[in-house]
Amino acid sequence: MPIAILMFLMFLPAQSWGGWLWGQADEDVAQVQVTEPFIAWRTGPATGYPVFHTSEKGEWLTILQRKTSWIKVTDSRGRAGWIAVADIAQTVDATGNPVDLQVPDFESFGNRRVEAGLMMGEFDGAAVTAGYGGFWMTRNLSAELWASQILGSASEIRMVNANLVHQPFPHWRVSPFFTLGVGHIWVDPKATLAQPEERDNSIGHAGLGIRAYITDRYFIRAEVKDYKVFTTRTTNEEATEWKIGLSIFF
Amino acid sequence: MENRTKHLFLTPLCLGAGLCLATVGHAQDDRPLIEPDVTPTPVTEALIDTENFEIAAFVGVLNIEDFESSLLYGGKLTYHLSESFFFEAGVGFAEGGETSFEKLAGNVEVLTDSERDYSYYNINLGYNVLPGEAFLTENYAFNTNFYLIAGAGATDFAGDTRFTLNAGAGYQVLLTDSVSVHLGVRQHYYRIDVLGAEKTSMNTEVSTGLSVFF
Repeated sequence: MPIAILMFLMFLPAQSWGGWLWGQADEDVAQVQVTEPFIAWRTGPATGYPVFHTSEKGEWLTILQRKTSWIKVTDSRGRAGWIAVADIAQTVDATGNPVDLQVPDFESFGNRRVEAGLMMGEFDGAAVTAGYGGFWMTRNLSAELWASQILGSASEIRMVNANLVHQPFPHWRVSPFFTLGVGHIWVDPKATLAQPEERDNSIGHAGLGIRAYITDRYFIRAEVKDYKVFTTRTTNEEATEWKIGLSIFF
Repeated sequence: MENRTKHLFLTPLCLGAGLCLATVGHAQDDRPLIEPDVTPTPVTEALIDTENFEIAAFVGVLNIEDFESSLLYGGKLTYHLSESFFFEAGVGFAEGGETSFEKLAGNVEVLTDSERDYSYYNINLGYNVLPGEAFLTENYAFNTNFYLIAGAGATDFAGDTRFTLNAGAGYQVLLTDSVSVHLGVRQHYYRIDVLGAEKTSMNTEVSTGLSVFF
């Protein structure tokens, strides 16, 4: 009897691998049933690709993958093609409920928690490229982190900033905001200049801008910021910056 | 006596048969003949594999104005916003050669060796202008995209970092839904003052790359 138990224990890992190997464990297949009169299949994930097949009401489709707003499916006869997410959202799954697919819209834009984007513009006459990420604490208030590179004819400037953003009208499609923050700046003069002098300073800034929701999960953002550079000399420096860019939200 | 025997046998028989019929009837009401071994799976967003990101490695030739042509290599990360638009962030590395002045004059060096290292990064917005199909055989077609792309970034060359604009076009052939080949031409523009007066340097990139969606 102990030998039998030992044998059983020895083969226990093999038994559990077996399930993994045969794919019977947690291999959930996403299957949906067509409820509309028909849905169109395209050869590729874009409206430009031709429709080559349609599925009738009652047919079962297996979901393979998604690219942007297109879903690749196969049917029982092994055909494969691409269907618009909006069409898949009209189907039901094996439990009989409509498929739970969220197509991001203006309402989800209002309830976003995280946003990130890339922006370009001008900082005191020089070209600026910047990226940022923001977290929304309430519908009105968010905290952001920025990294910018400014490339002028006389110097290269790197800048990091942390700021708070207040948006008074979160339910507007084109919504203004105000921002306040602090940061740090590193100035690296061009090698061809006569007296190159590297320096770094703390900065503070205030600004205002607008966000405009476009579609899906992206929006345009434009802003103007006024920077105060706190130098060790008797006077502080000031710089004005404007930027425009594209952001996504989740 | 006969009656009693009948009674003795028939009663349990009838009862038994009735009971059997009752159970059979009951079974037909509730349970299917074969009990399915699987539970229905609700289809949610988390169950669907979404492949909107694409990572690529590329090699090619970069023509650096005044500094010969060089082997170029680099990487790209793409995020597809929609079927038409995508963000692309790229880095590339090359090495500048000698100017014709250096070759003719002999012992002159305009740049040190480390200053000849050429690297760039850029952030671009692309637009799939012509989605299409390429037919390999009668029964097999690859999906393709012809795209236009433009953006900005920086070039590190000749001791300084310069603001750089770039624009170009590319052709993408999707070997499978997850693997694709890119062929591209890109023009990079920046202002440079290494050889006297400041001028716009135009650098042409021709490259080919392999990408994977995830």
